Amino acid sequence: MSDAPEFEAFVRKYQDMVFATAVRLLGNPSEAEDVAQTVFLRAFQRFDRVGASPAAAGWLKTVTRNACLNHLSRYRARWQFFSELDAPIREAPPASSVAQDELRERLEAALRALPDHQRIPLVLFHFEDLSYAAIAATLGVSVGKVKTDIHRGRDALRRWLDRYTAPYESR
Amino acid sequence: MNPGDLERVVSAHLRRLPAPRAPHTLLPRVLAAVRQWRERPWYTRAWFSWPIEWQVASSLLLGVVVTGLVWLLGSGEASELVMWRASTVVVPGIANLGERLSLATTAARVAWHTVEPLVVYACAAVMLMCAACAVFGAALGRVMFERAVQR
Repeated sequence: MSDAPEFEAFVRKYQDMVFATAVRLLGNPSEAEDVAQTVFLRAFQRFDRVGASPAAAGWLKTVTRNACLNHLSRYRARWQFFSELDAPIREAPPASSVAQDELRERLEAALRALPDHQRIPLVLFHFEDLSYAAIAATLGVSVGKVKTDIHRGRDALRRWLDRYTAPYESR
Repeated sequence: MNPGDLERVVSAHLRRLPAPRAPHTLLPRVLAAVRQWRERPWYTRAWFSWPIEWQVASSLLLGVVVTGLVWLLGSGEASELVMWRASTVVVPGIANLGERLSLATTAARVAWHTVEPLVVYACAAVMLMCAACAVFGAALGRVMFERAVQR
């Protein structure tokens, strides 16, 4: 493998970014690792063009986002259909009287615990900086539905924050 | 809390979240996958990256197959007819076929994405209808049979 050291450096540089995007979209670290591996393999197959490109980070983010959405539609089929039913938030870990770092960890866990149809548009909006229209086009749903799902996701997170940050902030 | 305030509050908290770190296992996994991909057998790769001798052999084989087919279709007039048909009908047809195939594939993909979430339920509905038909048929048969017996 002649370009192995360069590619290894490339993976080291971008692995956190790719994994963070994948794990927030998928809400599952093990699936995110699988997707990240696929993304880097694809990058290796085009390494002569991607490796030294200044647009490598953007390319990786786009490929990761698309790979995650493909993964969700393939392995968690019908999430779009079921999103019409308002699935309840899964139980997030309790976070009473915790330090700021731990609080962030638990907020991350609460975000991952959101149902797919709320978490995905929320992550695309807040972390990938996509507009409502772009999210709607990416997911193949209406802008109204994207807004509703994001609002519900935010509301679920706010309720979680109200429950667990109040004791911390009052100190 | 109105939607604007809610967006601000949640956004402020989410922006403070540090990016999750990739697990230590990711790099070795990627390198192993890359090694495996590079070492895959030549016949699973694209034809253009096959060894030259296999490219030549496969081209020869294809030539033999095509020639054999033409020869099998008959000699003389039949061959001429085939060649004429190939030049006047098949070649322009192939050019149109690519375009039509692309359109059909796109249409099929769009149609499939539309119906995909409903396929399971459609199958369930069809099975239910089959079951209902079977029950109805059995009931009808029984009624008719009883009437026939009563007569």
